[in-house]
Amino acid sequence: MSRDSAYIYDDVPNQMGEYQYENQRSGQQYEMSDMASKGDGKVGLTRRKTWAAHNGADLETARLLENLPSRQLENLTNTLGRDTVRLNHRRLKSFHGPFQHGDGEETSTEIANMVTNDPDFDDRTEDEIHTLLKGMTTTLSSKRAIRRKVSSKRKRQLGWFTRVKYNIGMSWQHFKYSIAEVMYSLELWKSHLKLIEGHFGTGVTSYFLFLKWLFLINIPVFLLTLGFVVLPQVLYRWYENVPTGYQQTNTSKSFTGAELLDGRGWFENTELYYGFYTNETIQITSGYKYHMRYAYLFTCGGYYLLCLIILATSILRSYRKYYIEGSGDFNYYFKVFNGWDYGITSQEAARLKHKSLYSELVEYLAGFKAPKDKSLTAKCQIFWLRVLTNVTVLALLASSGYLIYYISITMETKDIAWLDVFAMPLCITAINLLLPLVFHGLEQLEDYSKPKTELYVHMVRTMTLKAVTLCVLVNFWYGRSSRRMCWETFMGQEIYRLVIVDFIFTLLITFLFEFVRKIMAKYCVKRLSLPEFNIGRNTLDLIYSQTLCWLGTFYCPLLSCIVLIKLIIIFYVKRVSVLQNCKPSLRPWRAARSHTIFLAFLFCFFLLSTVAVACGIIFVLPSEECGPYKGQNQTYEIVTELIDDWREDEPWLTYIIDFISSPGCIAAIVILLGMGTYYIRLVMIGHKEMVILLEQQLALEGKDKNFLLQILQNVNKQNRKKDKKTPDRPFASPSDDVESITSPGGRKFIRQVAEASARGGHGQM
Amino acid sequence: MGNKVTTFTDDQLEAYQDCTFFTRKEILRVFKRYQELAPDLIPFNMTGDESRKIKMPVDVIEGMAELNENPFKTRVCEVFSEDGSGNMSFDDFLDMFSVFSEAAPRDIKTAYGFRIYDFDGDNYLSRPDLEKTLTSLTQDELTAEEVAFVVDKVLEEADLDDDGMLSYIEFEHVISRAPDFLNTFHIRI
Repeated sequence: MSRDSAYIYDDVPNQMGEYQYENQRSGQQYEMSDMASKGDGKVGLTRRKTWAAHNGADLETARLLENLPSRQLENLTNTLGRDTVRLNHRRLKSFHGPFQHGDGEETSTEIANMVTNDPDFDDRTEDEIHTLLKGMTTTLSSKRAIRRKVSSKRKRQLGWFTRVKYNIGMSWQHFKYSIAEVMYSLELWKSHLKLIEGHFGTGVTSYFLFLKWLFLINIPVFLLTLGFVVLPQVLYRWYENVPTGYQQTNTSKSFTGAELLDGRGWFENTELYYGFYTNETIQITSGYKYHMRYAYLFTCGGYYLLCLIILATSILRSYRKYYIEGSGDFNYYFKVFNGWDYGITSQEAARLKHKSLYSELVEYLAGFKAPKDKSLTAKCQIFWLRVLTNVTVLALLASSGYLIYYISITMETKDIAWLDVFAMPLCITAINLLLPLVFHGLEQLEDYSKPKTELYVHMVRTMTLKAVTLCVLVNFWYGRSSRRMCWETFMGQEIYRLVIVDFIFTLLITFLFEFVRKIMAKYCVKRLSLPEFNIGRNTLDLIYSQTLCWLGTFYCPLLSCIVLIKLIIIFYVKRVSVLQNCKPSLRPWRAARSHTIFLAFLFCFFLLSTVAVACGIIFVLPSEECGPYKGQNQTYEIVTELIDDWREDEPWLTYIIDFISSPGCIAAIVILLGMGTYYIRLVMIGHKEMVILLEQQLALEGKDKNFLLQILQNVNKQNRKKDKKTPDRPFASPSDDVESITSPGGRKFIRQVAEASARGGHGQM
Repeated sequence: MGNKVTTFTDDQLEAYQDCTFFTRKEILRVFKRYQELAPDLIPFNMTGDESRKIKMPVDVIEGMAELNENPFKTRVCEVFSEDGSGNMSFDDFLDMFSVFSEAAPRDIKTAYGFRIYDFDGDNYLSRPDLEKTLTSLTQDELTAEEVAFVVDKVLEEADLDDDGMLSYIEFEHVISRAPDFLNTFHIRI
């Protein structure tokens, strides 16, 4: 079908809000007074750019097009439309679409009538009515008018029972609103986030939002540990006046500032570490006992479970919201319609955003014009190169793991002043800083076609490195636990030191790479550009520090508090640094997809740390002298003892527990879950294929429509020609005028239609 | 703003709460912002019909920090104003920020996004609309040939029924695949 690439239409909007389309051939005037109701008497409103206008064709066809059912839908909604849309799995009619409803009393009355005359109206809760109102694409004033009318009608129609339901619904609404108010006033750091978003856009803001979210997750962890573990211990010590836990020597140590850094000395006899907690059963009042051992273990289980639920729901929500798997080939479309970040408020950021969009588009255009097709040898080369680099990466990971192990072993026996405890954390931090740079170099060699792939590969490698080092460490600690007097406290101390060193280095790096570089760029070396905020690296650092928190809270209960303070300080430091020192990046950052990926990393690391702590609880022998589990064979023993006690008391419980923990049952559950996952995945694949088929069908339907309209148009032309000439003249062959329809079937079809219309008379057109 | 002067009646606040995605405190905050733009024009007491009748001129609204750097600011103001001229009453202003807030669902953002990019208001995103969007985004840096090429590619990607324009359904179909749309179509106030 021939189509002009340059768009041609002639129409002149006149004062009355109608427009006249003039066809040059027939000289007729065609009026289309299509008021897309933006208010009455508005100048220059809708103009129908129809298929007919697009092809410079005639008005009969244009008029016909207006009568097509698909166009009728839009005309309806221009006055009072309705689309039936599924909302919350219930058939709620919503006033959807881009069409603004007319204003004025009649329209709002009509819409209100439509809402109230809906047969399900009485069953609707207030919540649903309000959701309906909020979703209407009309002005706020008319929404208020509609609301007034609907609620007055509603109040009249109520019987006693429905009035009760209505009141319950209203009070529930009020409750929800007051909760929302409280949440709003508690919202942290709002002005800071707004400032950052104005200057840098959504990419950098996503880092700060992630930080805020981690902060909020740690609060319940901290409160749980505080409430159930730390406070009882403190109260016990207060009332009993007995210094419990373990003491290496009988002298109480004094507090010097150095303990904040290395966590030894005075801190060892405080609630900071596992070793200090009692294993006694505390008598609170007559009859009520507080079992410290149960409290400690179950609180640990409790907050892991809580974190699991929060993380799982967050990932699911994020995946659903952001990672909807489409065909993914909408690059241009996304650049045009998602290109502008509406949150940008600073001039500099706006300028850079325009520039970045321009260079992205130019890059795409250039890429399209010269398709890169690598030869077979080049592809082979790249493949082997990648194999080589991956082997190198594995070797590097293995060697860094061995290095950590070696340093830990040697430093165990030595007693140098600061180095013996700080060698390992410094080594780990150095590895975490330097090896990613090596990885960057390797990725340059590997020459990935898309920068996105390169970024993901780099992130996977960095996180694997961190996981490997932590695994080696945990293994080391558990392996050599028998050589120490109170290995749990030692492990707590090591993790504490890791956290502190990580924190200090974060501050140092922010200072060095951002502040110093800015000074150098401004005053010394003119060629150096201002630093950009590296979102990926910073977020991965946050994930690492959170992993340390999860790993260490069992052995160092106050670690969650320390991490909270750390997060607050890092927020303010980074915020100041970003605004003072950095410039916005030219490369766009896909915040939505990356958010899901970061959550996935966090979840992986959470699982790893849970497994690590669970191993410690179940398999490793608790130390003899200290902690709530001294003298037992395993920490988990208390749970088994508890279950045994229950079995004695209630024999029927035995059957249930035995059944649930039998291998058959567990295997059955696992198999069922696997089958469920597989089934859902099949359904998803089926849906995807269905979508592709439907899209193709839609395209074909469009072509059908064009074909038929073309025929109609030609038949119309024929009829008019016949009218202009004598009525007796025989009907001319339509195939002369049909330029674009060349298929024999098409011509035959046209002939049939023409004969049928000639027989039927052109009055039916 | 002050303790003695009530800006809105309880009924009004409740109506606003039911019709927008804001809580009461946010509504008052938005009002404060609105009033700061033109303190002489907007009274403290809005309990009558002022929220609908008094309109702030469009250049003041476009001068707001949140909208100033936006290449589509004129179109945004036109879409959200009741009479289409860009002069916004407080109701329009609140409606605008409600749609741009974080709580607004994808549907309503898509609907208004479509209307914003539809420069001539005919409920279709035709070539001139797309070309204008593109030139606003890149500040006229692309050549006419490049613009035409990109518009061709966009239509190729999204125009399902091949009529040379994007209808709302086609627009929505593709935007639902865009994970970043909710993030970028968001203004904090």
